[in-house]
Amino acid sequence: MSRTEIIEKLKEILLAADDRNRDKVLACTEDSRLVADLGFSSVSMLYMVIAIEEEMNIRFDNVGASDFETLGNVVTYIEAKLK
Amino acid sequence: MEQKRPNRAKLFSLRYLVYDFVKASAALPGMIWLRPRWRFESKAARKFIRGGALLIANHSGFFDPVNVMFAVWYRRHHFVCSREFFDSKARWWFERFMCIPIDRQNFNFGSLREITDELRNGALVSIFPEGHINDGSGDLSAFKSGPVLIALQGKVPIVPVYVRPKERFWNRVTFVIGEPIDLIARYGRRPPMSEIDAIAEELHRKEEALKQIAYQKRR
Repeated sequence: MSRTEIIEKLKEILLAADDRNRDKVLACTEDSRLVADLGFSSVSMLYMVIAIEEEMNIRFDNVGASDFETLGNVVTYIEAKLK
Repeated sequence: MEQKRPNRAKLFSLRYLVYDFVKASAALPGMIWLRPRWRFESKAARKFIRGGALLIANHSGFFDPVNVMFAVWYRRHHFVCSREFFDSKARWWFERFMCIPIDRQNFNFGSLREITDELRNGALVSIFPEGHINDGSGDLSAFKSGPVLIALQGKVPIVPVYVRPKERFWNRVTFVIGEPIDLIARYGRRPPMSEIDAIAEELHRKEEALKQIAYQKRR
């Protein structure tokens, strides 16, 4: 799975999780900051991780909510897990 | 039809030795000191809590975990507590009391898994959804939405409990037990984040309603 495909999949997951930030999610890039730009809270971060685990069949290690600053960090983590 | 929930907690286990000993030793002095009084929101709330469940309660003082243990005296509680307590000298006690530490600044996925594993194994996990001791004015702080997500992930009902603490030493403690809220039965699958925030507000309203019951004069 390429980085672009992962981002597209992430957008799908984020829209299904919370459509209140629809425009921001559709316009997000790898540089988008999860908290400052996309309005994530620690709970929505957990929600995203649970959804990613289910959708992409990977398991996140014991990482904290603040370990991912940008969407790019999440993509890198997923990419490494999918290898 | 009521969902059958697993309860793999053993009647006796070395894991619970300290917990059960302290609980049994403190039962009589605690009953004399607290002189607890139970009230129930409805007939359904009177049923014993069996299997996995997430208990939520108001948090107005350091003594609240003890109060909550008395409120649902027939179960062992796994309290979700701040990691700072685990970094103190009291760590041994927190471990024996099966507390689950969470980092409030950086909630990690390992803690979430630990809590949901306990719930899925049939344990009763107790949490204070205000996230901290409230200001003591009697008003409840806003509820965090984390407990809602935990209950959904653990696939267990939420049991709201309100504790009216002693105001003076001769007062009695009042526990109000609310009707369990089964989110899985209501939604089937995990609802979107907006709904989870709405459920947290609903739980806050429910806790306010239980508070009203706690402060009602007995007829």
